[in-house]
Amino acid sequence: MQNVFLAIVLAPLIGAITAGLLGVSRRVAHSVTISAVAISFLLSLYVFYEIIFAGAAPFNISLYTWLESGNIRLELGFLVDSLSVLMMVVVTFVSLMVHIYTVGYMHDDPGYQRFFSYINLFTFSMLMLVMSNNFVQLFFGWEAVGVVSYLLIGFWFNKETAIYANLKAFLVNRVGDFGFILGIAAVLMAFNSLDYAEVFGLAQQGQYPETISLFSGIEWSMMTVICILLFIGAMGKSAQFPLHVWLPDSMEGPTPISALIHAATMVTAGIFMVARMSPLFELSETALSFVLIIGAITAFFMGLLAIVQNDIKRVIAYSTLSQLGYMTVALGASAYAAGIFHLMTHAFFKALLFLGAGSVILAMHHEQDMRKMGGLKKYLPITYITILIGSLALIGAPGFSGFFSKDAIIEAAYHAYEAERFGAGFAYYAVLLSVFVTALYTFRMFFLTFHGKERMDKHTREHLRESPWVVTIPLILLAIPSLLIGIFTITPLLFGHYFDGAIFVNNNPFNPEHYHGVLNFIGHAFLQPPVWLAAAGVGTAVFFYLIRPELPGILAERTKLIYDLLVEKYYLDRFNDWFFAGGLRNLGSVLWKIGDVKVIDGFINGSAHLVGTVSKLIRQIQTGFLYHYAFAMILGLAVLLSIFVFGTA
Amino acid sequence: MPGLHEFLMLGAVLFCLSITGIFLNRKNLLILLMCIELMLLSVNMNFIAFSYFNADIVGQIFVFFILTVAAAESAIGLAIVVVLFRNKNTINVNDLDTLKG
Amino acid sequence: MITFTFYLVAIILIVAAIGVITVKNPVHAALFLILAFFSSAAIWLLLQAEFLAITLVLVYVGAVMVLFLFVLMMLDVNVAPLREGFVRHFPLSIFVGGLIFVEMILVLGSWHQAVPPETLTTVPNIELLGEVLYTYYVYPFEIAAVILLVAMIAAMALTMRPHTRAKYQNPAQQVTVRREDCVRLVKMPSETKD
Repeated sequence: MQNVFLAIVLAPLIGAITAGLLGVSRRVAHSVTISAVAISFLLSLYVFYEIIFAGAAPFNISLYTWLESGNIRLELGFLVDSLSVLMMVVVTFVSLMVHIYTVGYMHDDPGYQRFFSYINLFTFSMLMLVMSNNFVQLFFGWEAVGVVSYLLIGFWFNKETAIYANLKAFLVNRVGDFGFILGIAAVLMAFNSLDYAEVFGLAQQGQYPETISLFSGIEWSMMTVICILLFIGAMGKSAQFPLHVWLPDSMEGPTPISALIHAATMVTAGIFMVARMSPLFELSETALSFVLIIGAITAFFMGLLAIVQNDIKRVIAYSTLSQLGYMTVALGASAYAAGIFHLMTHAFFKALLFLGAGSVILAMHHEQDMRKMGGLKKYLPITYITILIGSLALIGAPGFSGFFSKDAIIEAAYHAYEAERFGAGFAYYAVLLSVFVTALYTFRMFFLTFHGKERMDKHTREHLRESPWVVTIPLILLAIPSLLIGIFTITPLLFGHYFDGAIFVNNNPFNPEHYHGVLNFIGHAFLQPPVWLAAAGVGTAVFFYLIRPELPGILAERTKLIYDLLVEKYYLDRFNDWFFAGGLRNLGSVLWKIGDVKVIDGFINGSAHLVGTVSKLIRQIQTGFLYHYAFAMILGLAVLLSIFVFGTA
Repeated sequence: MPGLHEFLMLGAVLFCLSITGIFLNRKNLLILLMCIELMLLSVNMNFIAFSYFNADIVGQIFVFFILTVAAAESAIGLAIVVVLFRNKNTINVNDLDTLKG
Repeated sequence: MITFTFYLVAIILIVAAIGVITVKNPVHAALFLILAFFSSAAIWLLLQAEFLAITLVLVYVGAVMVLFLFVLMMLDVNVAPLREGFVRHFPLSIFVGGLIFVEMILVLGSWHQAVPPETLTTVPNIELLGEVLYTYYVYPFEIAAVILLVAMIAAMALTMRPHTRAKYQNPAQQVTVRREDCVRLVKMPSETKD
């Protein structure tokens, strides 16, 4: 089994090296990388089968000791249980789809091989992240996916906005990663180990210091500090408020990347991490409340922003933020399984939406503004249907995959509300209202793009045609799980024993006794507000964008204050630019002009001047006359003799 | 037979005379060289005196090496003086101040 | 008798040393230095350092001092400017020399009086010296030889004047020669032979 794991991880790495460093042709580049990911995917499926159906015990193996320093052992190892194998299958499947899609999407791009190398490298990093059995390897994968994300956002490095966006993503992630590594350090301090199994074991036995003194005199709960620090890392990577600002800008990258990294896999690393750390988070009610509130803010307020966006990819990006908020709410409500469930369904339908948007963009000759689209339905039939499936999954239409996961999260939030967890009430109403918002922006995007008047120019219209099969096949393959996966997986994932041993929950919000099968679940949903809220959202979208398309503009005029607030993204970017970037620049300029130029340079130049001045004086002694030197020597001799004779006496 | 004191005194007198000589003949490079020879002679005198009174032959070994090095030194020193005189047409120490800072 | 000889020779030595540092003519100074070397050799003989005494006479008087005189006479130095300031510096030099002398005497005065060994060794001094020199001190001995060699070559290299009139070939220049440097093509109308 160890060799299988190694093959899963190393195949994409070899593919990345081949495509990136060996200077191979386009054909070889995509064949090698696609087959590498296909190998990973098939082997992941095999491992999945072994663990889930053949009943193999979870694998926890250490392959290699990187270094040993005192009590600290840094190891390379794999922990493959039901949680990580699920992630492996999702990651490799979406990655495979994106790889195939890329063949069509990036067809004319000069950086073709580079792109394939990057996404292969990303797959490798992501697998290292999810398969890790210790914190150090987790951090390695964490940073590696961050680097690849940075490289890919700035893939078109001649575009100034892309460079700005990737720098922004990198810097914002630094903030999160700083918290994350502090969290790892806190884990090491509390448990004296970085191995998952050891740490979780000690945590459940309660063998760790109860409190920590961060600032002199104030005692903090150790577990709360650890969990909040780790969650700050997740906030950076999974784009939670207020560290979400990088994700919308990351849409500057090629669309396959938006699908793979910034929707389906990398941004969910934070969710995965928190679920993986569930034995720790369960021990801190405070940290869970924090997670809950942050998630709720992200879910609701980021969803609102999607309503006013005109760039098709940005709409989906804000939708991703909102859905990540949902997952975070699930984590905060101790419904880790629901979070991972939503992660999985979201990976499929959001990748589908992004790839579908990419297909639209491709057909529109890289035009992303929805105001210049409309009526594309008859030109792009396959894309139309697949996006419709993705949209329905996203808004949680009953029976679609997103419906199950989203409903489960809302239920979990309600459960937490009943259990009187701090912030759960706010979270419950936030996710509930978000259902309406989600439906509204999703179908606004959908109608603007595919229905209504054809607003594109004549030249574009003449060239409109459906995308090639390498683009549509992944769409279809992703549409299938978007449609169906919820029905088949909800029972084992939420109400069965799938996550036993991988996720630890004190008080499971999903009680199997109240669960009577999938159909019952669907039927029950019609008695609950979410479905009707979603329907209301769709209805609003129909009214505003199909029946009375002139209304949104008027409404925007009337509510200019709120509209501007949303268009400006709550002024957070402005604030960051002004406060953090500008403030740092001013501080740097002050340090440069006063600290460096005046103080340090003054000191250095001053010492040079001092040496010069003293030397000018001293060199008068150097007369160049031999007898002066001889005289000095003899005088020295006399003085030494005097000291010897008179000094000791 | 005079004692060790007398010999050491003789060495000291010679040494001080050569120091005085360096001061007096500060302008003449050749006399300076001679004074250095005289100084070395006084040191040798001490060595041989110690060697005799301590009945240790090693003192004489030292003198042997000092003589060797001194001979080499005076040979090179004189060669330098000759070259100097050829180039500058003088051996007056006052004129040799190219090392002035 | 030995005491008398010692004092006599010591006085001659001191007078010779004073001569070296005071006489006007450098040639005279060199001659006084020779006298000083001779006297020292005599004193060394009293101390049973026969080999070194003879070496001093042979090497110093025979070679080094002859070299000195040779250089002195060859250079034909004008002595007058070299003597200026002699009187002016006299008090200072006496003071410094005297100071050091007094200090040395003070050092010596605090010493115990060593007694000369009564028994004289039967082994000749040169044999004794050789035994030690060629066993324990053989490497320094070799180095001393190298130092002499270096000094010899250095002295020659310093004073050698290159022959300016000698003709020789420079192979490096010969191989880098170009056609343009050697051949000049001239176009001119044909001339009839008159």
